[in-house]
Amino acid sequence: MSVTEFGRPAVAVAATGATAGAAYNTAVDELISKIKDESDTVRTDAWRSAGDVGAAAVAPLAALTANDAIEVARAAKRALWQVVRQAGRPAADAERNAVIAELIPLLADGQPMPVRREVLWMLSEIAGGESVEPIASMLSNNQLREDARMALERIPGEASLDALEAALEAAPDDFKLNLAQSLRQRGLEVPGLPCAKLTPAKQTEVTPWTPADAESETAAKG
Amino acid sequence: MKQPIQLSRRAFLATTGGAMSVPYLIPRGVLAAQDRPGANERLTMAVIGVGGMGGHHLRDLKRFQRSGEVHIAAVCDADETRLAKAVETAGAGVQPYRDYRYILERDDIDAVVIATPDHWHAVQTVHACQCGKHVYVEKPACCTIEEGQAMIAAAESNKMSVQVGSQGRSQHEAYLAHRYLANGAIGNVHTVTCFHYPSPMDDNPVPDGEPPAELDWDLWLGPLRWRPYNARYCHGVFRWLMESGGGQIRDRGAHVMSCAMHWMNADGTAPVTVETTGTSPTKGLWDSCINMNVTYTFKNPDWTLTWNQPGEPVPKEERTEGEAKISRPGYGAVYHGDNGTFVHWGGDGGTWAERKCREWTPPPGAIEVYESPGHKEDWFNGIKTGAKTIMNIEAAVGVADLCNLGNLSYILGRKLNWDGAQRQVIGDEAANRMLGRPQRHPYHL
Repeated sequence: MSVTEFGRPAVAVAATGATAGAAYNTAVDELISKIKDESDTVRTDAWRSAGDVGAAAVAPLAALTANDAIEVARAAKRALWQVVRQAGRPAADAERNAVIAELIPLLADGQPMPVRREVLWMLSEIAGGESVEPIASMLSNNQLREDARMALERIPGEASLDALEAALEAAPDDFKLNLAQSLRQRGLEVPGLPCAKLTPAKQTEVTPWTPADAESETAAKG
Repeated sequence: MKQPIQLSRRAFLATTGGAMSVPYLIPRGVLAAQDRPGANERLTMAVIGVGGMGGHHLRDLKRFQRSGEVHIAAVCDADETRLAKAVETAGAGVQPYRDYRYILERDDIDAVVIATPDHWHAVQTVHACQCGKHVYVEKPACCTIEEGQAMIAAAESNKMSVQVGSQGRSQHEAYLAHRYLANGAIGNVHTVTCFHYPSPMDDNPVPDGEPPAELDWDLWLGPLRWRPYNARYCHGVFRWLMESGGGQIRDRGAHVMSCAMHWMNADGTAPVTVETTGTSPTKGLWDSCINMNVTYTFKNPDWTLTWNQPGEPVPKEERTEGEAKISRPGYGAVYHGDNGTFVHWGGDGGTWAERKCREWTPPPGAIEVYESPGHKEDWFNGIKTGAKTIMNIEAAVGVADLCNLGNLSYILGRKLNWDGAQRQVIGDEAANRMLGRPQRHPYHL
């Protein structure tokens, strides 16, 4: 998976309620300070080691992804991914659950769209049934619904499957095929909604080359 | 009421007039296998993705067109500027398309060459096979383990010939190296160490912006999740994004490790552990490793393969007049056997074997290995006879899996214990989720 760009939304991410409950400590302060450092090397060393700081760093890092300095924002996002991936390691359920608990509030309406989109993908890697409801609520958001669909597709278990099935019932026509795609991927048959993957849709304006083209090129060259 | 029988063009030609029109002295067996083009039949082709390597393939196919083996019918690209240039290169009678699925709808096209960015390889290969087209697809075969399995299934169930563009296997000196190692010239090989110079860093980062008018950004992204356009995604430089290109390990690694798997007779096998360390870029959009060390351990037989950036590059061998010059000495591999070592440089369209291998004379009774007539020629043969290509999809997916698991170990920061038979990371649920990735509608497997 890549670490893709958040963009730089105008609104900074507010600290979430969950942050207050997490162990905010000097390690977080130190991490954030280094992520904001002017040195490329310091920032990189910081984001590479962010996994050790864990859940307490999630909200402050998310806020930094909106930083005006593009490389600071990028380092913050990469640090967030490090936290997620380290928490997803085997036999680290408590850490994983703590990180998930910090991520879910970042899906809220007040958060910048790029943050919410990225968090959906983070949850897709480590979340379980506890995250299905907040993710499924994104299916009615036109800007986030495709990412939410893909996140649910990836999260194993009955809860995510049920959410996709329920969403299909309620979805507008222009999103039903997307949901059907996920349900098929999860092994269900979806009658009445044919797969569109082989249906061409995009026309070019380029025309075939003809001998006349060569003649006109020659003429143009004199 | 009797229904009219629908025959495909191939079936019709193979069973009736088409076959009868061929001189009857052609030996039995060279006529078309069921629904395959006959040995002397011209193949009608399209090129999907015509920049970079796609442009090379288009020019290469024109060579085969001149000799009458191929007819180029269509070209396709998501970038109108590139497409317009390709139309000019291809010449009269070649239809341009933005959307490759128009090509797959055409009954007259036998085969497609796919040279799009890596994140498109699997989806387009699967779709092409499902539409009855033979495929030459650029390496690496796929970006995820799941994609690779879908490619194998699509090729097999539709009986399509797939060649993957790790063309090092088809080079003459690769044949010499294979023969040399297969005959135990350096004894039992226990370790193969690859070397490659570091991957680049994005030294000119720019903010996200609007895509250029000529580029269909939605189509370029295809199965990838949507994100704003950034000029540092494309063209060509997609290679340095983990999601789309995967860095040098998926570029040159898919060549150098392809040679290793072939020469070690290890196609169809998989490592039991994969462990990666790497250095990250300190700025910019690109997120692939700059330096990287991956260790793959294989069991039964036991051997170790390592991918090393930069590793320990071997100075290139001096070559005399008349010998093929080593033009890309910055990557290759050293094979360590019980009785010595063997070095090769390159591993792609340029593959150079150490002198002692080139001068080695097989003793009576030596093992002979297959020598490819050329990577495309080998594919054409596969299309017409059903023979497995030298870089068939199973072998290519095996190599791509090495690359993808190496990157996955780096991303996760932990060693992977791999069950090659089940294609699962043992005891690591989060890693297993990342063996595939959801795809954007409608660009999916």
